[in-house]
Amino acid sequence: MAGEIPLVLVLYSNDRLLPANVAADAGLREAISNAAVLSDEFLDYPRFTGEAYLGAFTRFLQEKYAAHAPAAIIAGGPGALEFLLHHRAELFPQVPVVHMGIPSASLRSLLPLPANVVGVPFEYNFSATIDLALRLHPRARRLLLVTGTTPLDREFEARLRDVVPDFKDRATAEYLAGLPTAAVLKRLGELGKDAVVVTPGYFQDGAGRGFAPREAVQAMVAAARAPVYGPFDTFIGTGIVGGYMPTFTAIGHQAGEAVRVLLTGVAPTALHLPQVMPSALNIDWRQVRRWGIDPHAIPGDAVIHFRAPTFLEEHRQEASAAAVVFLFQSGLIGWLLVERRRRRLAELAVQKTRFELTHASRLAVAGELTASIAHEINQPLGAILSNADAADLILESGADRRTELRAILADIRRDDLRASAVIQRLRALLAKHEIERQPFDLNAAVSDVATLLSVEARRRRMTLDIRSAPSSATIVGDRIQIQQVLINLLFNAMDAMADLPDDRRAVVVSVETVAGGIAMAVHDRGHGIAPEHLPRLFESFFTTKHQGMGLGLSIARTIVEAHGGRIRAENAPDQGAVFYVMLPAACAADLPLSGRT
Amino acid sequence: MSNIPLIHVVDDDESLRTALLRLLDAAGFEARGYASTGDFLLHPPPDRHGCLLLDVRLPGPSGLELQAALLRQGVALPIVFLTGHADVASSVRAMKAGAVDFLSKPIERDALLDALRRALARDALERAARDDGRQLRARFDSLTPRERAVFDRVVLGRLNKQIAEELGIAERTVKLQRAQLMAKLGVGSPVELGRLDERLGNLPD
Repeated sequence: MAGEIPLVLVLYSNDRLLPANVAADAGLREAISNAAVLSDEFLDYPRFTGEAYLGAFTRFLQEKYAAHAPAAIIAGGPGALEFLLHHRAELFPQVPVVHMGIPSASLRSLLPLPANVVGVPFEYNFSATIDLALRLHPRARRLLLVTGTTPLDREFEARLRDVVPDFKDRATAEYLAGLPTAAVLKRLGELGKDAVVVTPGYFQDGAGRGFAPREAVQAMVAAARAPVYGPFDTFIGTGIVGGYMPTFTAIGHQAGEAVRVLLTGVAPTALHLPQVMPSALNIDWRQVRRWGIDPHAIPGDAVIHFRAPTFLEEHRQEASAAAVVFLFQSGLIGWLLVERRRRRLAELAVQKTRFELTHASRLAVAGELTASIAHEINQPLGAILSNADAADLILESGADRRTELRAILADIRRDDLRASAVIQRLRALLAKHEIERQPFDLNAAVSDVATLLSVEARRRRMTLDIRSAPSSATIVGDRIQIQQVLINLLFNAMDAMADLPDDRRAVVVSVETVAGGIAMAVHDRGHGIAPEHLPRLFESFFTTKHQGMGLGLSIARTIVEAHGGRIRAENAPDQGAVFYVMLPAACAADLPLSGRT
Repeated sequence: MSNIPLIHVVDDDESLRTALLRLLDAAGFEARGYASTGDFLLHPPPDRHGCLLLDVRLPGPSGLELQAALLRQGVALPIVFLTGHADVASSVRAMKAGAVDFLSKPIERDALLDALRRALARDALERAARDDGRQLRARFDSLTPRERAVFDRVVLGRLNKQIAEELGIAERTVKLQRAQLMAKLGVGSPVELGRLDERLGNLPD
């Protein structure tokens, strides 16, 4: 089983739980997948060192892997690569080695490498990290650099000293190199807003205490009153703000890829490997918030950690689908709003036209009513004048007829009110008023019209027979307009009977409650409507009268339909025509609350 | 009593009718009100000096129709129309048919009373004329058949001798009867007798 699946030995410089190793291991395993079995070994630098230890470790590896020779070896870190190169003769000299996690500078000191030792180095980008720190904190004038005491720590320090002078115009550099941790933390705790800290962490402090660099950084961040930056992605999460760093997962992944290809039989020299691992800017979003860093100052290619993923980031697909739906809906709603507005405007225009037309038609009705109106008003005026004249004469006569005078005055007052009522009725009918929607009793409205037209009917020697609904017939709408419809129908009915003998000159107006509404019928006893005219009756400008405009019935229909009703005409079975107006009855919600009048 | 004029007011508007009746009463007339033409016709007016104050627009037959009906029936009450809305057609028709005036409501007292007085004056004249005619007819009717025969021939210009021959009576008898009938008719000369005959011919039967 093991003989079939190749074994890959992975040797790390440091201990097993070094965060960099854990990250690299994850990338490695992901790349290799099930193409090989990985066996991990750890030199445990810098805790264990010395020739004896390394000799023992070499023998251990020889013995351990004698039966299961690795198909490839991965060297994790400069220490591991150095060890392998040093013991190359004893440890599987024919087996190709892929290195990972080696800084370019370290690699240069190990050159030239054997042909079967390959890998991609990474670049410590201290300079870019310092530049970033100073850019994100424009008010910082002090740059603190913290390093340790191991050779690797010293190497980090040396690299920092190489680049820091480039920033002398922007900040004063202060090195906290090889100090005991307590002293470092004390110094960091005294910092103000004018300082930034850059550190690669350390493996050992000035007091000789060992650390994983990540632990050292964690302690520094906890104590520091200034933002801390570092060059390793493993520091992310400790509280550093960020830095330009190689990602160890990517490094592991790159090595794993190389091994997988080698295992397929490709010669190490034939591998196409990049010159250097790219480093990426990593940023801890929580620290950005904590230090009040301007988010816009952060370069767009930064990898942001610990930012609560936005809904969009977490559910991109659903979100985009939702967004599309949302946009579509918004568009639709927008369109509907525009459409509604256009329709509203159109409705207003129609309403205005209807309003003008109905007013015009009311004026026409008023014209036809002139004689009746004059009669109705002159009647009380005549009575008032004659009463006043009579009173005058009575007073002249000197006779004591106070009772009669009082009766005269009462009559004058009554007739005055009567004249004023006529004028009010006319004003209500003729005034240009906005269309109303009020509940009103159709019975009462019809009876008012009958009163208004009674004189006209008498003049034309017509009888108006009003048959109200037994119960109240409340509808919602414009009372005046509905009355206008009725007046129009009554005039038509009277016109239709102009040449009839007296015993047939009668119009019956009935109001009835029917299923789904209230029906008003106007029934004349004339000659009826010619069948060919019936379909066109409600069309505008259709008329059979010599002096008709042909607008009355079309306006009547417009009004009725605006009230949600219908109007139709038919010939009655006995004689004459019947016009039916069906109007929806008011529902409870339309009616005023009880107690409100 | 009977020389107080009686004015008939036909108007369907009760309030106006009452006011008019009050005014006429205060102005010294006797007045009666009717709500419609039918109401008036159901209560035939007594043969008394008076006139009619008539609304044009009335329930049922109009004022103009009542005017025509009264003319046909020979009821000679002069009519003053009083209308709420005076249109030209109605006023022309009313005046042609003999109305005294055609007034509009509201009407001022003086204008109304003036019109009514003119109507009453006309009634008085017509009534007097009618009375004269009636008296004349009564006198004429009191002639004996023989006197009537003589009268007929006198007004034709016949001489006594010719009349005596035609009637086969003595000429002296003709002279006597001629004197008697002239006394009965109250005339003094054959010329007056001729004029009287003319009036009689113009009297309605």
